Amino acid sequence: MIRSEKISLSIGNLNLFKELSFTIERGGNVCFAGPSGRGKSSLLKMLQGYILPDTGRLEINGMELNTGNIKGIRSIMAYIPQNINLPVTDGSELLKLISDNPQKEEVSHIIENLGMPAGMLSHRFDEMSGGQKQRIVIAICLSLGREIILLDEPTASLDNGSIRKLMSVINSLNNKTVVSASHNAEWIQFAGKIIEL
Amino acid sequence: MNDTADIGIFDLAIGFSVLAIPLLLFLYYRIRLVKDLFISVIRMIVQLMLVAAYLEWIFEMNNPWINSLWVFIMVLIGAGTIVHRIGLEWRVFIVPFIMAGLLSMIIIDGFFLGVVIRLDYFFDARYFIPISGMVLGNSIHHNIVGLTTYFEGLSKRKELYYFILTNNGNRKKAIRPYIQEALVKGLNPLLANMSVMGLISLPGMMTGQILGGASPVTAIKYQVMIMIAIFAGCTMILIMSILYSNLLVFDTYGNIKFSHKQPKG
Repeated sequence: MIRSEKISLSIGNLNLFKELSFTIERGGNVCFAGPSGRGKSSLLKMLQGYILPDTGRLEINGMELNTGNIKGIRSIMAYIPQNINLPVTDGSELLKLISDNPQKEEVSHIIENLGMPAGMLSHRFDEMSGGQKQRIVIAICLSLGREIILLDEPTASLDNGSIRKLMSVINSLNNKTVVSASHNAEWIQFAGKIIEL
Repeated sequence: MNDTADIGIFDLAIGFSVLAIPLLLFLYYRIRLVKDLFISVIRMIVQLMLVAAYLEWIFEMNNPWINSLWVFIMVLIGAGTIVHRIGLEWRVFIVPFIMAGLLSMIIIDGFFLGVVIRLDYFFDARYFIPISGMVLGNSIHHNIVGLTTYFEGLSKRKELYYFILTNNGNRKKAIRPYIQEALVKGLNPLLANMSVMGLISLPGMMTGQILGGASPVTAIKYQVMIMIAIFAGCTMILIMSILYSNLLVFDTYGNIKFSHKQPKG
């Protein structure tokens, strides 16, 4: 469970959000929605502990966001970034970088469910479209089997068909908490709960 | 073996006359390097004359404290040059780079002078200063390349770092690709240099020893050892500079918090 109590964040003179409170239940599917520059991505960074709230309290699975708990908090998270142009050759290399026990078969299975051949994991990223890369990164992160999945603009490079396949994969996850940031109407509708920023 | 044939003042002047060739080419092609050429040559002469003067004094004294102080000054200058060339903040990075240089020199000098050459007098200026100087001098260029690669990678391609840090949770694993890249780019030229030694490049130390009257076999043994010392030293200084800097460039949440200006030309 993720619980925020009256958290506020400002960057410079810009107030991104003020006294924001929400609760995300285990297994929930929540989307931070709103126009660009309102702090959706910053909120995802905050959940990972890279940004701290100016005021308020943030708790993840009963662990308050602080230096003592940060390792434990990150160990239950998978994060899929908006920028998928990561400086690696292919998905296999990326998988080895983030996983101590790479589950290649599991990644291949997810890649197929996302509508691509399993062998794409070892295809060069520089020969792929943005949408293909994004699905590979998503498959790798989901294969980690983490309890909380954070997705920043997951539909950014995907066509409608691929978005639906991704929704189907997300729906098939058992007991995972999905937290996303998006301004895509179809994705926002897909989320069980919307937190407007 | 005979002593090295001395070069007289008149002969030195004749030697300088060969600079007329590049000078004429610069003038003919209107390349604006004439002033730089004069400044560089004059600087070289003045610096080497000063070095000759104080090295002669240092060699005469041959005092362990003075010799160690001299190596310490070389480490300071090396660390300062690296911080300046990479465009990092002095107050943050100078101490880690000095630490890396000092510790590496203690290990390298300790091993090569104490274990390999087994000098009766460990701090003998004839060995202690030139060997330390060759390792430190060579490490500057390779460290600048390696550390620039590392810090530029962390500042310009930080997405991968944060991606690994969240998804794996281990900061050591998150910085590993950047360290790998730094070591490859920093040390590759040195490996290439070693592999063509004797074929394309004639090593200065070996040539100097032969000119100084040593037997070629002894000169080659020293050259091989000094190349090993340089490679091991460069690797140690580079990796230690990175690891000591890492204590200061990340906050307790793993955020990258250093600032990096454009490296100097």
